Amino acid sequence: MLPGFLLLSCSHPETKVVPRKYTIEIKEMRFQPDDLQVHVGDTVEWLNKDMVAHDITEEDNKEWSSGPLAPGRSWDLVVTKSANYFCSIHVVMKGKLEVP
Amino acid sequence: MKTTKTFYVLLVTASILYVTPSFGQTKPKLTDPEIASVAVTANQVDINYAAIAEKKSKEQDIIEFAQTMAKDHQAVIDQAVALVTKLKVTPKDNAVSKKLNADAEKTKKSLNAKSGKDFDKAYINNEVAYHKAVIATVETVLIPESQNAELKALLQQVLPVLKTHLEHAMMVQAKVVK
Repeated sequence: MLPGFLLLSCSHPETKVVPRKYTIEIKEMRFQPDDLQVHVGDTVEWLNKDMVAHDITEEDNKEWSSGPLAPGRSWDLVVTKSANYFCSIHVVMKGKLEVP
Repeated sequence: MKTTKTFYVLLVTASILYVTPSFGQTKPKLTDPEIASVAVTANQVDINYAAIAEKKSKEQDIIEFAQTMAKDHQAVIDQAVALVTKLKVTPKDNAVSKKLNADAEKTKKSLNAKSGKDFDKAYINNEVAYHKAVIATVETVLIPESQNAELKALLQQVLPVLKTHLEHAMMVQAKVVK
């Protein structure tokens, strides 16, 4: 008796990552959260909840910047890669976006 | 540097003790209008120092730090003024705010007499000492003493700004004072 082989097709439709939107609050002079795991295509919104202006500037090569963000204003970025960023007005404020 | 910080802490503490009726009290007492006046004065003093730095310094880190100080402390004053207007409180000039102003005039005179690297060092050393003293005063006197909840909340919101300023000042100090 020939062994019967039951061939199962294990193909799955390609799984697409649906872009998500994340919010980072700028509050008490910190980016909250200051370390965010994201995927390419996700949108990150920074919302300034402090009483002073901040900005969000890519740190290593200055590839992007929000410009001064007044209290209450927000700024969005569509993620293309990991990035270290900081506030160029308050240079000790730092954060990072990590793409796995 | 240590001397400057000690000077500021003693100055503010002595000024506060001077106004209290009883020197036996361990905690000085300021009314909300007096606290509002001290808060505005302390911010204005740093704005005035920043104006001197923006005019005299050629060092980019100093100039950018001073610009941040000017904008941030003005933003705090604006918030304080909006609040006292809403609360119908008139900031009351007092011995503490007067002494802050009087001593700031001496510091300004000293800064204006300096130039180049000597100026940069004097300015940033003063900023580190001044912010340490103001943080201590806000934490130990202005916040605990404030009666109005919104005034207290505003002072609590200002603290992280002051602490970030101090961290920034110390970073610039490490570069400039060698």
